[in-house]
Parts: sequence; structure tokens; C-alpha cells
Amino acid sequence: MVFSSMTFLYYFLPVVLLTYFVAPKKAKNGVLLLASLFFYAWGEPKYLILIVGTILIGYVSALIIEKNKDKMSGRIALYVALFCCLGFLIVFKYTSFLPLPIGISFYTFQLISYVVDVHRGKVKAQKNLINLFTYVVMFPQLIAGPIVRYENVEKELNHRTHSIPMIREGISRFVIGLGKKVLIANQLGELADVYYKVEENSVVFAWVWAIASALQIYYDFSGYSDMAIGLGRILGFRFPENFDYPYISKSITEFWRRWHMTLGGWFRDYVYIPMGGSRVGTGRLVINLLVVWTLTGMWHGASWNFAIWGLYFGILLIIEKLYMLRYIQNAKGINHIYVIFATVISFVIFSSDTLRDIGVNLSNMFGLTRLKGITEETLYYTVSYGFTLFVSIIGATPLVKMLGTKAMKAAERYKLDSVMESVVLALILILCTAHLVDGSFNPFLYFRF
Amino acid sequence: MEEGRKTKGILTVIIIGVMFYGYAILCYIKPAQDISEAERRPLAQRPAISVERLLSGEYMDEFEEYAVDQAPYRQQLRSTKVMYQSIAMRKLDNNGMYFSNGYISKLDYPLNESSVDYATEKFRYIYDNYLVDTDVTIYMSIIPDKNYYNEKLFYPSYDYNELVVKMCESMEYADYIDVFNQLELEDYYETDTHFRQEKIVDMAVYMGEEMNVTLDTEYDEIKVSDDFKGVYYRQLGMPMKGEELYCLTNSTLELCKVYDHENGKSISMYDLNALEGADPYEMYLHGSLSLITIENPVATTAKELIVFRDSFGSSIAPLLATGYSKVTLVDIRYLPSNRIGQFVDFDNQDVLFLYSSSVLNNSETLK
Repeated sequence: MVFSSMTFLYYFLPVVLLTYFVAPKKAKNGVLLLASLFFYAWGEPKYLILIVGTILIGYVSALIIEKNKDKMSGRIALYVALFCCLGFLIVFKYTSFLPLPIGISFYTFQLISYVVDVHRGKVKAQKNLINLFTYVVMFPQLIAGPIVRYENVEKELNHRTHSIPMIREGISRFVIGLGKKVLIANQLGELADVYYKVEENSVVFAWVWAIASALQIYYDFSGYSDMAIGLGRILGFRFPENFDYPYISKSITEFWRRWHMTLGGWFRDYVYIPMGGSRVGTGRLVINLLVVWTLTGMWHGASWNFAIWGLYFGILLIIEKLYMLRYIQNAKGINHIYVIFATVISFVIFSSDTLRDIGVNLSNMFGLTRLKGITEETLYYTVSYGFTLFVSIIGATPLVKMLGTKAMKAAERYKLDSVMESVVLALILILCTAHLVDGSFNPFLYFRF
Repeated sequence: MEEGRKTKGILTVIIIGVMFYGYAILCYIKPAQDISEAERRPLAQRPAISVERLLSGEYMDEFEEYAVDQAPYRQQLRSTKVMYQSIAMRKLDNNGMYFSNGYISKLDYPLNESSVDYATEKFRYIYDNYLVDTDVTIYMSIIPDKNYYNEKLFYPSYDYNELVVKMCESMEYADYIDVFNQLELEDYYETDTHFRQEKIVDMAVYMGEEMNVTLDTEYDEIKVSDDFKGVYYRQLGMPMKGEELYCLTNSTLELCKVYDHENGKSISMYDLNALEGADPYEMYLHGSLSLITIENPVATTAKELIVFRDSFGSSIAPLLATGYSKVTLVDIRYLPSNRIGQFVDFDNQDVLFLYSSSVLNNSETLK
């Protein structure tokens, strides 16, 4: 079940929220757990047992680790947990024998962070099985993140409060995320899809496709993250942010501090720093970065394009770290062009299914094939989706948020801020419902990870 | 102050909450409809539940289809989406449909050469197996899509001349009757793909002249509906007024006998019951029937006509029938070409291949 579906929005969510808020405090985690298991089973009934088994391993291991700190048995429990979690991930994700269980990359990383943090003494092992289950399978973040670490929600799992401002904040965040996904990402997805369907492509349209794809991935994933964060807020949790206007970055280093922040943070804390991080010699640093970024790419899937995508960023980051960073940060304007160019190219690699496709698509963009500059058909689609593209570019900057904040402040003077907010959110919700009712194009890109 | 902070946003929570729960309750309690009046199609029903279907995920997929199809205010929401995309987001089409000069048109681009080849191969099969070495006279005509007359900046359209040339070259055994200059945009419905019967009398007469027969020119126009909403209306989902739907009749047509060979029964020229059905245009000759004959007992000639046709043929066939003693309509979308010989004898008739450009460009339905 994806958030941007009629089933989730108008059948599942209303019942769950009602039951959750009616339930007594002690039963809330139980309600959330049952709802989350139902949510997961709706999309992947066969793999319910896998997620349950993985959590049980994590639960038992963490208890053993905590009880046997600095002992061999504690370390063995840690290795067993890591072996099982990574083993399941590798078997299901990187072998083609079995279909990919939904959300496995996300919940595996969450469990790993949990047992490692217990081992490091950063968090206490959760004794209440329901609470641990609730942490891992909590439906807002189960299938597409953000990758919530146990330490982020440890307190809230045991004791959390609910309030009108929190619910309002959650509703607002969820509806905006839904709008980003349904009103923008899906439309950009349609445009990107046209690229593969037109009779004759063109150089201009190859660029339009590349830009649309880069923006689609951003709106799709950040919209989903917004929805997850919003739902978490309604339920009394504060999930970590996952995106912070990555396309306004001045370097790729900064881009990765703003893009899929919870994944970057996870690799930093559980792979990069244990390998020595930056406090090593240049040679070792290069190796560390290449390993981390190849793994980051591979986390997205078993295809070569993901490995190349990760490696591509690894190389860019190495160049920046060793030579370029201080220059590009001061090169106003040029640094933005550089980041946008580099990320658009990266998402061409990301969006291409095969190595051959990467070559063809890049060749198309740079006029290395026999494509015309523009054709009648590609001009049509460029014009047709031109305004959507323009809106999505503007929306990827903080401008809309700034204008929204200003408008809210102005409305606040006349005590109309709540009215204005309600009207805007109601409009977005109606438009999203209209698109879901009529739309046929509603893919969710990060579902496959 | 503390109280103010605690209740800040309560209005937002109440408004969105009421709206959200109101719609959700409607989703739960609204009785399922069998068909969508506006879209003229059956709607998905609540799926049957079983362990097997749950485990395979089939139930969940079908439930989402059901939730989408049975959504309360579905038609209004569809219209909202189209208006938002076309007005706010300046999108030029919606699901391939667009609104221009008061007409809904469909993008049909580019010229699908393999589709045209497939159609002409079917026609060649008919010629080789039934027509060659007979004394029939063969004609071919193409009815252009209305977007031929409704060109708009940026909207791509294929070269209709290329289609005509290709068809003429592939059907060298047929005389081409060019009707492109006999039609104009106003001859088509605003909300449907077809032309209006009351507007094509001149075109039919011209075709008759080209086939050396004289057709009637005078008809009574009978208005059978003033709320006709065609197939494009359903696909676009934009709110539009219904159109007037007419059928033509005169003393000749009133005497004609129509026989439906598919179901083995006599039928009326116009089926007024179809006005209440999924596609009111099916009023003309009962819509998609594979084999129909129209016998004209007051014809001034013994000549017969066999028309290989698509749905456009349904409204023009009655007009052609006024000039022939018998018109046979064959629709190879429903009657496979290799079975035609069992039902039709080819002997000294005029044979007309009359197809719309849209069927030729999307000919996979021809059998």
C-alpha cells in the first residue's frame, strides 16, 4: 500500500487514526503495530514472516549484547544479527532468485543501527517486544524511510505526547508531501515516460527528460518523506528530516548533506567512520570514500547502473575533498551550475536500466547520435509540460516556502492564518484526490528499494 | 497565551479533519455503482475475498481499482483534474485528448506505417480471395479525423497526404474517392470522434457520383437527443454541454429493410434504445454489428454496394442505401476476413473500402 493511493488515504488511514486516538495510552503502540503489520501485509503478505523473523533476531541479539557487554558472547550476538540482517538483504536484493520484499533496505538498516548502537552503548536494548516491533514496522516509515534510528524515537516509543499543534503540523506536512508526489512527481514521471514513447527523439528533449527525471526522483522521494514525517508527527513522533533543498547546493559535498540525509548519515556513522573516516592518509581516504559510495549506490539495487551512480558520486566527492571544494564554494553561480549539471547527469545514470542505456541517453543529450535538435512531437511535449517543469524547478528552491511563510505572517496579522492554511491544504487534498481518481500514472520510485 | 499555543491550528485540524473523514465515510458507505454514466463503462466492484487472492496480492490490486472507480464524486473530481491540468498547469492535452475551437480532439501521431500496412494487407487478402477475377468495381475512401480540420499551434499531426498516397499505392486495385474537401470541422460532433449524419449528405452524394449512382438529397432531420455526449467527452472528463443528435429519414429510407446477419433478425435503421446505452452513436444501424444488409425496394437501379467499413460507416450507409438496391455492410473488426466468403457473394457489385484515418492508423482491431 502506498500513501498516494485511495486505499491508504480513505480506507486505511481514517480507521487507523481513529482507533489510535481512541485507544488508551498503553494500547497505542499495540494499535500502531497491528495497523503497521496490516499495512505491510497488504502490500507483501508473503514476506510478513521475513520481517517478523528479522526483528526477532534483532530483539534477542540486542538483549544478549547488552547483557554481555565486552564479552565474546555479546560480540557473537552482534555478528549473528549483522550476518542475518545483511544475509537476508543480500539474498533478496542481490540475487535474482526471489522477488524483492518491500522496504527490506530500510528496515534492515534500521535494525542494524539498533543492534550496533546497543553494542556501542548508545541506546538501551528494548525489553518490550511490542515497542521494538513498533519501531521497525511503524507504517509511516516502513517501506521508504526516512531511515529512523532507534535513538531518534527511543523516548517517544515509551512515552509520547499528542497535541493539536503537532497534529496540525503533521497534517500540513503530509498534505504537502502528497501534493509533491501526486501533483508534481507523477506529472514529471509522465513526461519522463514520454521520452521512451515518442516516434523520434531530439537533443532538446533528451535534456528535458534528464531534468524531468532528476526532479521526479526528488519530488517522489522527498514527497514520500514529507508524508512519513507528517504521519509520524500526527502519531506523536519526530522523524529525522531527509531532504533540504538539495538542488540549491554549491557542491556535491553539500548536495549529499541535503539529499537522502538519513541514508548518508547511516553510511557515515556505520561504515565510513568505523573505516577511519577522514582522519587517515590520502590513499586510505580515497579507498574509504570509494567503498562507501559504491555501497551507497549498491544499496539502491543490484544493477550496474546503481554501482556506477555511487562510484560517480564517490569520485566527485574525492575530487572536491582533495582539490576543488574551497574554490567552488566561492565561485558564485558557477557552483550551482556545476551541481545541477553533475546531479542531472547522475540521475541519467540512475534512471537508465542498462549500461547501454546510460551510453545512449548521454549520447543523445550531447548530440553524439543522429538526433535532430528538436522535432514537432518533442516540441509539443516540451511545451505541454513546460509549466509543470517550471513550477517544479521553482518548488525545488526555498522560494515557495519563503513566500508561504510571508503570506502566513501577513494573514496572521488579520488572524486569517489558520483559514488560509486550511484552504490551501484542502485545495491540495482535493486536487490530489482528483488526480488519484483519474490518474493511471502513479509509480513510486523508492518502493523498489 | 499558553491556551492559545495549545489550540493553535485547531481550525486547520477541524476543517481538514471534517473534509477527510467526511469523504472517507462516503467511500465506505456509498453503494457501488455498476456503470459510470459519464464514462459509459462498467465500474470495478468490491473484489471477492479468499486466502489465495490475499496471498497473491490480487485482492489488494482489485481493491484499489474498486476504490478508484467507486470514489464518491468521481466525475466531478475527474473534471477538476482536467481543469487544473489544462488551465493552471497549461497542459496541452489530458490522456491524449485536447480541447480546441470548441471541439474535443485526440492526439493521433505519428502516422503508424506498420498499422497502415497491416490494414492494407487485410484489404489485399479480401481482394485476393474474393474480388480478383470478379466483375466488381472497387473503390476506396478515407474519412479524415476531425483534427485534420482543427490544426492548432504545437499540436503534432501526421501528414494525411502521406496516408492517402500510401493507401492508394497499396490498393492499386481500387479507385480512390477523395472526400477531404467534402468535410469541414463543423461536420463533426464536438464531443465525439464521428461526423454528424445530417452534415454529410453532400459528401454522400459526392461519393455516389464518383460511383455513378444517384443518391437522395432530401431528408427529414429528426432530433433524437439534445444531450449527446460522445466518446471523447468520456475520455477527457471536462464538463461540456450535451449536443443535439439527429437521424435522417425520408420516404426511401422508411421503406428500406435492414437485416442483422450476426443475430439473424430484421432490425430498424435507427435504434433509439441505444440513446440510453453506453454509446448513443450506436443508434445508427445498431452500432457494432459485423454484417448488415439494407435492401431498398424502391431503388431505381439494380446495382448493389458492399461496404467494408468501421463505425463511421453506420451513419453514412443509410444515405448510400438510397442509391442502391442493396447495401451490404461488412465490419472486419468483428467478422474475420477469412469467413466473409461464407456470407457474401461478390458478383457485379460496387465494393467500397470506407475507413476512417484513425482506424487505419490504429488497425490492430481488423481481423
